[in-house]
Amino acid sequence: MAQYRKQLVWLAIVLGVLLIVVAAIYWAEPARSLPSFFPGHENGSTHHHVKHGIAAFLVGLACFAFAWFNTGPKKTAAA
Amino acid sequence: MGPITYFQGAILGLLQGVTELFPVSSLGHSVILPRLVGWNIHQNDAYFLTFLVATHIATALVLLGFFWRDWWRILKGLGRSLRDREIADPDARLGWLIVVGSIPAGILGLTLESALRRVFASAESAAIFLALNGVLLFGAEMLRRRAPQTSDDDDTRIARTVSWRGAFTVGAAQAIALVPGFSRSGASMGGGLLVGLSHKDAARFAFLLATPIILAAGILKLPELAGPQGNGVRGPAAVGAACAAVTAWISVRFLMRYFETQTLTPFAVYCLCAGTACAIYFAV
Repeated sequence: MAQYRKQLVWLAIVLGVLLIVVAAIYWAEPARSLPSFFPGHENGSTHHHVKHGIAAFLVGLACFAFAWFNTGPKKTAAA
Repeated sequence: MGPITYFQGAILGLLQGVTELFPVSSLGHSVILPRLVGWNIHQNDAYFLTFLVATHIATALVLLGFFWRDWWRILKGLGRSLRDREIADPDARLGWLIVVGSIPAGILGLTLESALRRVFASAESAAIFLALNGVLLFGAEMLRRRAPQTSDDDDTRIARTVSWRGAFTVGAAQAIALVPGFSRSGASMGGGLLVGLSHKDAARFAFLLATPIILAAGILKLPELAGPQGNGVRGPAAVGAACAAVTAWISVRFLMRYFETQTLTPFAVYCLCAGTACAIYFAV
């Protein structure tokens, strides 16, 4: 169980970093320059998908929050 | 004369304040009413979206003010939990339940709002979805679980009753309000009933859950109100926002008392009847 939890924490951290990077790409690049597998990619469009970036950023933060709580010191139950 | 008159701004503001919090779809009403009274206002017009930003921010600020003691406790709880790396007390848990519930609503809202607004822009579809909103409210009443009877205070009771999965589900249910005719508060209250909250607690949780979403959506679009898109709309928008604030305050006070003893059924009947009547009227 502890091993499973540890793997989940690492997954959350990796996912969090990836999502923050994705958010930065959405904010920095216009729709035409996004990788073709990104939702919102559109040939020739100069539109910046700011909202997609915010969504990715918030989910990234949520992943970090999950990792934060699951790596805290274990509390022992009161006797 | 601007695209929205001061009179229209006041009427739409009064309507927005009531319908945003009553489980009857504010967006649906703001699409249907102009069509019913023959106003040349359409929900996809840029100036109307700008107008809605002001009324939404006003409604969110009213909710924030009404529940400010709860928010203060929740924020302190969130801070404590981050510091201790443990969600130990009900205030912290309620705060994180609101965060978990806001994630699906926020993501779906950010990514789908424009597309859904384009597809379901007509008063005809709003009327049909308003009737379906009534069916949804009826369904929530029929399927609701018995709420536990405890002596805890309201927020503690909500924090103890709602699971993480439940909060996520209730939050996701809010996204249905992106379709004009479906109600955000109706969906989240219905979701709250399904996860075992009482009517009063479901309404309280729905309002707490709605506040950051409505406020964030408003703030995100605030530059449109300040920019050239807001030209000719700012005056009526200010009047509309003031009117929305007044009716939102009255509405939240009324609803918090109403749901101590009453159910969603009258709103379900209203949505079903009004939606059906409007759909028939628009069709003939």
